[in-house]
Amino acid sequence: MSAIVCIAAWITAVNCIFDCVVSHAADAQPAAVINQQLSARWKRDHIQPADRCSDRDFVRRVYLDLAGRIPTVQETTEFLNDGRDDRRNRLIDTLLASEDHVQHFADLFDALLMGRTDDSKYAERVKHGWRDYLETAFRENRPWNDVAAEILLARPDDKTQRGAVWFLYERNNQHQAIAESIAPAFFGIRIECAQCHDHMMVDEIKQEHYWGLVAFFNRSKNENTPNGPRVAESAIGGFSEFANLTGESSPNRLAFLQTETIDERRPEKDEKQADSDELYVPASVSDDPRVPKFSRREQFVTNVLQDHPLLARSMVNRLWAILMGRGIVHPYDEIDSIHPPSHPELLDWLSEDFANNGFDVRRLTGMIARSDAYQLDSKRPDDVNDPSTFAWYLERPLTAEQMARSIQLAMRGTFQNDATVVSSFRAQFLDVLPDQVEVPIADALYFSNNEKLIGYIRESKAEGQLMQQLIGEASHRSRANRLIETLFGREATKDEIKAIVKYLKQRQDRMPDAIEQVVWSLLAGAEFRFNH
Amino acid sequence: MQKRFGRQRLTCGSIDHTVHRRLFLQGSMVGGVSSVASFSGLFSIPALADETKKAGKKCILLWLCGAPSQFETWDPKPGTETGGPFAAINTNLPGVQISSLMPKCATIMDKLAVIRSMKTTPSEHFQGIDALTRGATPRPPFTRPILGSVVAEQLGQLDSPVPQFVLLDPCPEGNEFKAFKAGNWAGWLGAEYGPVRAGGSYSIPNIDRLDSISESDHEDREALRSFFSRKYENDHRSAAAASHNAAFNRVKGLMSCAPLFDLENLPESDRDRYGRGAFAQHALQARHLIENGSTFVMVANGMPWDNHVYQHEMHQMLVPELDNVIFQLIADLNERGMLDDTLVIAMGEFGRTPWLNDARGRDHYPNAWSLAMAGAGIQGGVVYGATDPLGFDVIDGEVDQRRLFATIFSALGIDPHAEYNLPGLPTFHRVEDDAEPIREVLA
Repeated sequence: MSAIVCIAAWITAVNCIFDCVVSHAADAQPAAVINQQLSARWKRDHIQPADRCSDRDFVRRVYLDLAGRIPTVQETTEFLNDGRDDRRNRLIDTLLASEDHVQHFADLFDALLMGRTDDSKYAERVKHGWRDYLETAFRENRPWNDVAAEILLARPDDKTQRGAVWFLYERNNQHQAIAESIAPAFFGIRIECAQCHDHMMVDEIKQEHYWGLVAFFNRSKNENTPNGPRVAESAIGGFSEFANLTGESSPNRLAFLQTETIDERRPEKDEKQADSDELYVPASVSDDPRVPKFSRREQFVTNVLQDHPLLARSMVNRLWAILMGRGIVHPYDEIDSIHPPSHPELLDWLSEDFANNGFDVRRLTGMIARSDAYQLDSKRPDDVNDPSTFAWYLERPLTAEQMARSIQLAMRGTFQNDATVVSSFRAQFLDVLPDQVEVPIADALYFSNNEKLIGYIRESKAEGQLMQQLIGEASHRSRANRLIETLFGREATKDEIKAIVKYLKQRQDRMPDAIEQVVWSLLAGAEFRFNH
Repeated sequence: MQKRFGRQRLTCGSIDHTVHRRLFLQGSMVGGVSSVASFSGLFSIPALADETKKAGKKCILLWLCGAPSQFETWDPKPGTETGGPFAAINTNLPGVQISSLMPKCATIMDKLAVIRSMKTTPSEHFQGIDALTRGATPRPPFTRPILGSVVAEQLGQLDSPVPQFVLLDPCPEGNEFKAFKAGNWAGWLGAEYGPVRAGGSYSIPNIDRLDSISESDHEDREALRSFFSRKYENDHRSAAAASHNAAFNRVKGLMSCAPLFDLENLPESDRDRYGRGAFAQHALQARHLIENGSTFVMVANGMPWDNHVYQHEMHQMLVPELDNVIFQLIADLNERGMLDDTLVIAMGEFGRTPWLNDARGRDHYPNAWSLAMAGAGIQGGVVYGATDPLGFDVIDGEVDQRRLFATIFSALGIDPHAEYNLPGLPTFHRVEDDAEPIREVLA
């Protein structure tokens, strides 16, 4: 049997199984599809998943995942006192509609699409509207395909969209860097390996795709206009040859994987292309750069991006990774033939569902959060080691912004997204979706000796702030209780109270220091550091 | 092994690909953070329980980046049209002369092994550095680990608080060397075998205890943290928390070595003896680190040796400093009884042209050049190989990077031909093609 027939047969088989599982549940409650797909695998592999998590665990987890911070003691109490059966779903909906959610997703996607940087560049991203563009996209829950198209076309037709140019603009005419970041950001693949040769392990990623993606953007050029930064585009040029390792050269056609190569007349050898006004039309916005009649960027957006199967698939897999701790394809941005999905039918279904429902990010996020698997206990069950089973909630470290907000909230009762402690954390904790959790000793040193962090704890002593409240408590025991409740969102155990009381008692002569040290010992521990 | 390669994604492990993702996240912070990243990498794996006591050999690489001239160092051609203005002087080895810019080394030639017949191919810095620090020309997309990483992996004590592979480089600049420094040094061994970078403007962030807490409170506070955090780790059977706690577990040990990285702690008399130049001071620091438990220290100083302009004037400043550094280092190691266990290598990435260019500089020349070694496993008093009377070509005992590395590994008691165990990658050996070590320079 040929390979193609094999695959066709497999697809048919999958669809058949899948139809049976999915068809009825799909409309009623999409989360049910996730439940069915995951539990089918558990059943097949004789896996006993973890128990459903407690309400206490749930409330901390879902605030972190959807609102980017821990809940306050009051928010926790409110949730625990909510007697309604659907209180979890209600909380999910409330959080998804909150401004905190907007900020959290803007943080995540800024790091994922643009990378970490320094304070001055973050300030540029704010100044030139990129941050605002991202926030608006999530606040208005704009369709992801529209957002992707606007970012890659980079031709805003009104001022509110001006930040859309920044994805390309910040990369400063580095066309290879542009291509290498578009591939993971909007297609969930990595193409760097194909720069010098066809990908050695991933057969479908060819060198012509790498240079093709570069070519779609290599006529683009940053321009400072009276309207602000824009990315102009030339109607000519951008033709070159690329050589593979054996020295054979090929033309850089407008090619990308899983799409048809776009026709474009290549100049003859020694033919010099002449630029002329006739090749352009004026921009729809006055003072914006003129637009080539044949625009490679527009070609890319219209003919490659819009109907590309990976556009939906990559976003689904990434949102899954954000909520579930790893992608159905892992790593989440290597959706290729050597990284098979752990649940292929589920990924297919979710991707199709996402595309069919207007690339609705919030709907998909809520769907995953409502699933049983999202609400499992984080304690790994006996005899289960494979995280791709999603048989327990996978811990993940708080991102820099989650950490900064949560510490502010715990210590001072409020938070600011631009507090200095945010920039300190952002410089230390770079990853937002690590492939696996490996804590570097530099992080431990940071917690142990960083002046800004420790100073922040110490200075949280104004009226109503935690240090002041702790000092004001009547006993060490009540200090211990308040600390555990505020920082961990749960009641303290006897052992824990005993340990804290003992620590404080030994330091009666330097009480504020001692309390500060206890706060530190909880903030720097795994229970605070991870979402679980 | 599983864990070690876990992070190295199955893309293809080449230089750019493996570091790209982190660099991307770091954005424009690359320079500032790379030292942290590789620094932390060294310690991010738990101590291996089955780590056995290793041979105890160590290595200092004086990395003469930019490439010094063989004519003004180990292979003078006095009075010839290529020889330049400096004389040659006799040494304590009968019949052997070296440049008059190296009077001190002339007195310890019985301890040195000089190779005068280096013949390599890359003639540009980046490719030269790559080949001469990894021991092979590249085979894209795979990245061979750098010498220090291999030695740290083979001979290092992973549970030691003292970093096993240290790059001391007071100058973070250096053209192609700067670019090379930003790349992937540990290659397929994994980032934990990358160097801790220190020296000059590099420092280890947050290494010092704040004044606001006493040493004993700092320790007790950690004990309290550990109590809570381990409880969580156990309750959750959490690998993530285990990694978190393991990192904190190393804090005290590493903080205790902070003084090792502080030049100010070294005796003034030693500092004067080595000379106050940055390279010399860091060579002294290398000795100090090796004495205190590091396994491999690479001392660089940007890329000062690339003298395309005013070669003679520049070398007249650089070579005497090198001469003194080698002399002091060998003397100190010898006096401390450490020379037999410590290999010292002084080399660059190639040599310099026999002719001068229009700017009175010597250009890149991989065709015939020299280097020197001493200490562990090396036979002192050997001059191996020879060039023709004008220094244009090697006439005896050609040595390329593979033979050189086979020699270095042999001297350190590391099997030069062992195969790497790299699941999913082609077969690689520590040195390829069964290249033979230079028996004549091995003790």
